[in-house]
Amino acid sequence: MSDRSYDSIVIGGGHNGLVCAAYLARAGQKVLVLERRHVLGGAAVTEELYPGFKYSVCSYVVSLLRPEIIRDLQLPKYGLEILPLECSFTPELDGPGLVRWPDADKTRREIARLSKRDSEVYPLFGREMAKVGRMVKPILEMVPPDPTSLNPANLMEMLKLGRLFGRLSEEERILQAKMFTMSAIDFLDEWFESDLLKATMGVSGIIGTFQGVRSPGTAYVLMHHYMGEIDGAFRAWGISKGGTGMISQAIAESAKNLGAEIRTEAGVAQIMVRAGRAKGVVLEDGTELTARHVISGVDPHRTFLGLCEAGDLDAEFLASIKKFKMRGSSGKVNLALDRFPEFTCRPGDGMHVRGDLAIAPSVDYLERAFDDAKYGDFSRRPFMNVVIPSLLDPSVAPPGKHVMSIFVQYAPYAIKEGPEAWPERREAFGDAVIETLAEYCPDLESSILHRQVLSPWDIEQQMGLTEGNIFHGELSLEQLFFMRPTPLWARYQTPIRGLWMCASGTHPGGGIMGASGANAARRILKSRVRA
Amino acid sequence: MSYDLIIIGAGHNGLTAAAAQAARRRKVLVLEARAEPGGLAAGLEFHPGFRTSGVLHDSSGLRSSVITSLGLESHGLRRRPISTSVFAPQAEGPGLLLHGEPSRAAEEIAVHSTVDAERYGRFCEFQKKIGPYLRNLLNTAPPDISPRGFGQFWDLFRRGMGLRRLGREDMFECLRIGPLSVSDWLGEWFESDLLKANLAAPALLGTWAGPRSAGTAALLLMHQSVAENEVIGGPAALVRALNAACEARGVELRCGARVARILVDASKVKGVELADGQVIDSTRVASAVDPRQTFLDLIDPRELPLGLAEPISNWRCRGTTAKIHLALDGPLEFSSRPGQSFDAVRIGEDLTGIERAFDAVKYRRLPEAPHLDIRVPSLLDPGLAPDGMQVVSIQVHFVPYDLDGGWTDDRRADLIESSLAQLSKVAPSCRDRIVGHQLLTPVDLERDFGTSGGHIHHGEQALDQLLSLRPQARCARYATPISGLYLCGSGSHPGGGISSAPGMLAAQAIR
Repeated sequence: MSDRSYDSIVIGGGHNGLVCAAYLARAGQKVLVLERRHVLGGAAVTEELYPGFKYSVCSYVVSLLRPEIIRDLQLPKYGLEILPLECSFTPELDGPGLVRWPDADKTRREIARLSKRDSEVYPLFGREMAKVGRMVKPILEMVPPDPTSLNPANLMEMLKLGRLFGRLSEEERILQAKMFTMSAIDFLDEWFESDLLKATMGVSGIIGTFQGVRSPGTAYVLMHHYMGEIDGAFRAWGISKGGTGMISQAIAESAKNLGAEIRTEAGVAQIMVRAGRAKGVVLEDGTELTARHVISGVDPHRTFLGLCEAGDLDAEFLASIKKFKMRGSSGKVNLALDRFPEFTCRPGDGMHVRGDLAIAPSVDYLERAFDDAKYGDFSRRPFMNVVIPSLLDPSVAPPGKHVMSIFVQYAPYAIKEGPEAWPERREAFGDAVIETLAEYCPDLESSILHRQVLSPWDIEQQMGLTEGNIFHGELSLEQLFFMRPTPLWARYQTPIRGLWMCASGTHPGGGIMGASGANAARRILKSRVRA
Repeated sequence: MSYDLIIIGAGHNGLTAAAAQAARRRKVLVLEARAEPGGLAAGLEFHPGFRTSGVLHDSSGLRSSVITSLGLESHGLRRRPISTSVFAPQAEGPGLLLHGEPSRAAEEIAVHSTVDAERYGRFCEFQKKIGPYLRNLLNTAPPDISPRGFGQFWDLFRRGMGLRRLGREDMFECLRIGPLSVSDWLGEWFESDLLKANLAAPALLGTWAGPRSAGTAALLLMHQSVAENEVIGGPAALVRALNAACEARGVELRCGARVARILVDASKVKGVELADGQVIDSTRVASAVDPRQTFLDLIDPRELPLGLAEPISNWRCRGTTAKIHLALDGPLEFSSRPGQSFDAVRIGEDLTGIERAFDAVKYRRLPEAPHLDIRVPSLLDPGLAPDGMQVVSIQVHFVPYDLDGGWTDDRRADLIESSLAQLSKVAPSCRDRIVGHQLLTPVDLERDFGTSGGHIHHGEQALDQLLSLRPQARCARYATPISGLYLCGSGSHPGGGISSAPGMLAAQAIR
């Protein structure tokens, strides 16, 4: 049996599972990663669905990946190369749109066209957000303390948290309180007056949530997306050379080099539990594998409602997991293009399109897109975040051709016809996306060689993300920090001894950050004595 | 002439603060711009012979501690148990009479859903369990969050322990529920749309948020935890009792005296200047008008302490509530329960409909099907209307202050029409019985009652405008950075509604 027994088995080869495995292997554990699909990466994958065109199928940009993980796992050595997205462009139908450039002066002049005051405030805002980011950064790397426990180690952690808060000035405390409760637009209203600028910036507050820009709590999501800008320069978003899958690939290579074993096409059917303790897993083909630690890199719903037997968990815990809101709200359209499509308001394939593009012409536009979704429909005129990776990285498309990655919101998982109706609605959704984008880019339709449309239902089916939620659960206040995924089990451990969680459904949450995986590994290694 | 304390605004909070301070042998002057005291709590004759019991018509939030400490019962205040019946009528169906007594309410709920009826008891128990903690939070000054030594840590620690005493699970449950939307929270408990809509309604009064907006569950918990008995005669009767209490303690009340300026010199209050130029000296001034007016209109910008103008100008007070008053020549009858009369009625059959009504506010439009919160005060106080006739007081939710295109006569007529259409769906006979009516839009409320943005709570009650941030961290504990200037209105913790709590807590903070 020795060849089938491990120190740790990680379920799911997404980036967090791989990071967790790499850290455990680095500490000398015998680790096995099991991935259901033929490719590693989970939502961070590159696939060549059309000859010569490499799609970053789901996740498409990176900024939050923790620098210490890149360092610890020597990712550049294993092929990680991040190409910065330096510009951000919001086209308009009747106007030149707005471009934020890498050059601060140029950006100021752009914004000054919309509002002189805003152009002066803009750099101050960036500095303030960086400050908030710095405040939050230590929290990202923290295993959330349990505020009710009187255990001394836990009290020390609470004290550390208290000291972090204690060091803040009054203004910073107020700012933090506001960030956690306000809507993105109410928050931006305090700074800016230009509608186009507020819309452009406000979209960071809704990505991956089932909320509108005016919904309370979205200011936090705005900050969550700003945290990527702490360590590096402004606009530290980037894409991975060769597609997002290369990130997963690099982490996997590093993990292998550290001694981890990784198997693909090895779906886990069940977590084996004996007397309240995880013993291992049963694969879909019936193989049983045992380990001292079983670590779930899939979302909380799938872990507890899918892979565990109901009898292994108490009813109250299961009820709290069912209350954890998934609610996927976004879809993805990937295009293979015959040529570069011109944007009417700013033609050419210059700098301005070599970053990310937002279809967010006004605050009301974004809010209306949300209204459609609230009542169970995809947005007729959705918000989109578009990247054309082939402009920066010619290796992902044949010469002269392009790939276009379109993140679309809102596409609610629970459409009114029911999620199973998505296969019939999928193409209509894709049409709405293309129609909307074609208003800004009339060339688009005729240049499409191939299109892939992913609804949240497809994301659930293909990637295994429950309800297609890209963050493994909404980033709303009651689902963060010591409440993620549920208040009593937020420290990567679960009611089943030896079963752990290491993915985005735990603190600090979604995006290609790797922090959940690294934190979980730290926590598991600390527990070794007791195991 | 000189006073120990001048209070600006004789709304119910201003009067409460005045009576409480006068009890400490202070010479108090209350200045009211309108012709009579009471502000939004005062009764109003809107049609010859027909009076309301207050523009705000719910008096269930009035704190018992205020009644006791001001001896309001000796000044004629009487109460009755909380609205024995809030009726949610249906166009088709029996409607739902939500009784104040959980077991009786459950019987009615069972008609719509037996599962819900069974859960309702547990739902009420949970609220009862966490009630004392919330009441404590809402009946004391908010915690000081400025970094200033040990005292505040002790205060935060004490409050933390209070929450801890609820037990691990309930404590986490409170933390989890607070940021939820009322739709999500009620959705975890119940299946009946009618029940959910009826329960959610109080959380949405005066908000710029729909039932699906995050944070509204906290508002509902707050409302429920302090709802007690109602004042007989409504808020107007409270104003009369407060007025009598003030008089008995020697408070001087001047109506028709509009304050033009709060006089400040070297960060100290000197007194006030009236619109007619008269200057009245006092080293203490408490403002019961909203924070925006207090700091931005009444104080010379040069005298405003650094860093205060900006957060106050960011104070959100976009009114979303309109009032419609109807004079009926007969009873308000509902087709689902003919022959019965109800003094409290909520019209909105499901949360989706209410959410749609809120959507309109976002785009500065009128809702097609407004959400109505109705009282029939004349059923309890027949003196409000001539014999056999009734006064119907309607709070219309989700009516934008900044209506696109402005509040023209046509738009006013549209709002009345859509509101009556909603009412007629469940009370078809009502339209023919109308002998008089009045509409107060948020713009009218601003003009007539002086609240910025026509906001009935003096500012939105969103999570970032509550507790230690109401209206701003540096003046959340009633004292302001200007020495001798205090806030005592609904713009302060614990916020709007007929509670007298901000007035009372401010009076305790005035040195």
